[in-house]
Amino acid sequence: MKKALRSFFSSIKLTVVLLIAMALLFMVGTFLPQREGAMEFAQRLSPGISGLFHALGLFDVYHSPLYYGLLGLLALNLTVCSLNRLPVSWKLYRTPHFPVPVGLFSKLPPNRVLLTEQNREGCLSSLENLLKENYGAIEKDVKGGHVFFSIRKAGLSLFSVYGVHLSILFMIAGSVIGSVLGFEGYVNISEGETTNLVASRNGGDIHRLDFSVRCDKFTLETYANGMPKTYRSDLTFLKGGQPVRQGALMVNHPIHVNGYRFYQSSFGSAPGGRAVLGYSTGKGQEEKVAVSVGDRFDLKEGGAHVEILRIEGNLMKFGPGVKLDIASPQGRHIQFWVLQHIDEIAEMYPELLTQFPLFDPALFKPYRFYLKEIEQQYYTGLQVVRDPGVPLVALGAFLMVAGLILRHFMPHRHIWVRVDEAGRQTRISLAGRSRHMAALDRELDLLGRRIQEKGIV
Amino acid sequence: MSHTLILSWVTFIYFGAFVLYLFRMILGGRSWGKLASLAAWAGFAAQTAAILWRWKVSYSLGIGHAPLSNLYESMIFFAWAIMLLHLFIEWRTGSRAFGVFVVPLAFLAMAYASIAPGVNNEIQPLIPALQSNWLTSHVVTCFMGYSGFAFAFGCGLMYFLKTADADKPENSNRFLKRLPTLASLDLMIYQSIALGFVFLTIGIMTGSIWAHYAWGSYWSWDPKETWSLITWIVYAVTLHVQYIKGWRGKRMAALTMVGFASVLFTYLGVNYLPGLHSYLN
Repeated sequence: MKKALRSFFSSIKLTVVLLIAMALLFMVGTFLPQREGAMEFAQRLSPGISGLFHALGLFDVYHSPLYYGLLGLLALNLTVCSLNRLPVSWKLYRTPHFPVPVGLFSKLPPNRVLLTEQNREGCLSSLENLLKENYGAIEKDVKGGHVFFSIRKAGLSLFSVYGVHLSILFMIAGSVIGSVLGFEGYVNISEGETTNLVASRNGGDIHRLDFSVRCDKFTLETYANGMPKTYRSDLTFLKGGQPVRQGALMVNHPIHVNGYRFYQSSFGSAPGGRAVLGYSTGKGQEEKVAVSVGDRFDLKEGGAHVEILRIEGNLMKFGPGVKLDIASPQGRHIQFWVLQHIDEIAEMYPELLTQFPLFDPALFKPYRFYLKEIEQQYYTGLQVVRDPGVPLVALGAFLMVAGLILRHFMPHRHIWVRVDEAGRQTRISLAGRSRHMAALDRELDLLGRRIQEKGIV
Repeated sequence: MSHTLILSWVTFIYFGAFVLYLFRMILGGRSWGKLASLAAWAGFAAQTAAILWRWKVSYSLGIGHAPLSNLYESMIFFAWAIMLLHLFIEWRTGSRAFGVFVVPLAFLAMAYASIAPGVNNEIQPLIPALQSNWLTSHVVTCFMGYSGFAFAFGCGLMYFLKTADADKPENSNRFLKRLPTLASLDLMIYQSIALGFVFLTIGIMTGSIWAHYAWGSYWSWDPKETWSLITWIVYAVTLHVQYIKGWRGKRMAALTMVGFASVLFTYLGVNYLPGLHSYLN
């Protein structure tokens, strides 16, 4: 029973099946709406199918029991496979230099056999020097009139596969640590405001930081063509009311504070801000007043009261606008919008003011209002992350790349050189063993060229 | 004269190189092959110059960045990487038989970049998310990987054609005879997949490091990320069945097609799904 289990978990078939199942699951994940987007989609399906998808976790495949199950099996499979193979690699690594494998030097292609008129002794010593120069550690053996040299290269490469497998285990472990112990949340902070509360991404419960963040300023820069150039938040981090750190947060440049990383994630225009209004009766001077939402002021003539209801940076894509409520002395209330670009808008939509008096800045006669400017107030959207799994994942990534490079670009090679006499000539034969034949061929070609260049043959 | 004009000429040169490689395969004779290689090298040199020129122009516009930031630029770089690998392998193996199936892939990438609807060839400034030193290393490694897989795909096509020849040697035609041997195609498929796999892995890793700094997470299950992982799995399976199960020949050739389809979906198909990599549209 134990043996059967072990052979089941050590089979390459299981690896392939698991990997294909994962790939298929991921495909489903990219085609089916996931998590937040899934609700609306699920309602369009028949209840039976939608229920089935739900049960299989297909609306959140990357957090489904199915996915975790496959991941767990893969981890087990990788471990058992690797442990099973390890002795084989060890044996290969410890392959004795001598005796030379049986049949290694039979049926060599002609370019692997070099002949020279030089005597055997001279040839041997210069060959030995050349090999030592190029490979360092070499082994020598004399047997039945033949002299053999043995060279092993990149023996470590035999173990690269375990590095790669281990790296996957590291990454799985790191991602589990991150999802169990990590935190991801979002917070919007208006310019000038301070908070220590962050809404967690999962479930949206509120997480209290042991320090607070103040957004001193948010800056949005654009290129000449209107594309965004910079999103930047000037932040101050405070502990017990005292600033402990200040920094400019930009996309691609997170700020690390107390184990949390802060990212520039989004921004928007905060309600409020200040606006500069102008008004006149057509005769006499134009009056100017700076206001915020909730402010009231009196009009000079007629005794009417004006209240500022709203200040918007971009009202219905018409640009900046301020909504007024004017109470006349008779107790009548008139509400309308004062848009900064009303003249241009009225030109584009000549019917607008007659159809929608709400946008007529001269609705309260005899006054006409102008919006000079509004001071836009922004809020910055910060992403707050803590992921203790990152170092393990990073270690895994490094190990995987190193392992793959070692495996594919520096494969293990074992080379033997034989020197003997063929008639009156001295004969040098080159042969080797490797799972990577092309690399072995290149190595032997190079060695052959070096021997010729040295004038040994 | 501008670099985009050079790039449209390069498109035609690559097509010319393909036709010359085809002549060599059909008519035989060394001179066709030499001409084909010459055209391929000339096109490659001109393309390299045009890419460098575009890079320089972006600096003189005050928005300097490596020309790897949108679909047009990545497509041009993809073609360049395919040609780089092709010329390298042609030089190393001394065989001109690969050009007829690999050079047209570079030509198609170039042609797609210039005629596909919605592909903008203007030099655009970088949005904040793209302003990173990881942009160059991520894009370069990914497309080196893709070019390895493209080469393997070309070899896979050749393998299937060649087996048609091997089945009935008595009436095989000259074109098929001049294709590389099945054994050398098999080896080339394995080697180019291994090369592509290493680069794809580095590409995914550099992408994750970048995402760690830009998006707050090294992995977000964005569709492009997910599909790059699917592609990685396809080639990981391919390498395992080759090494452990000893799959060779037609089966490996078939897997190059599956893998390359996944590469194309990762590169182009995914852009129709919503996600974080949407600036490629």
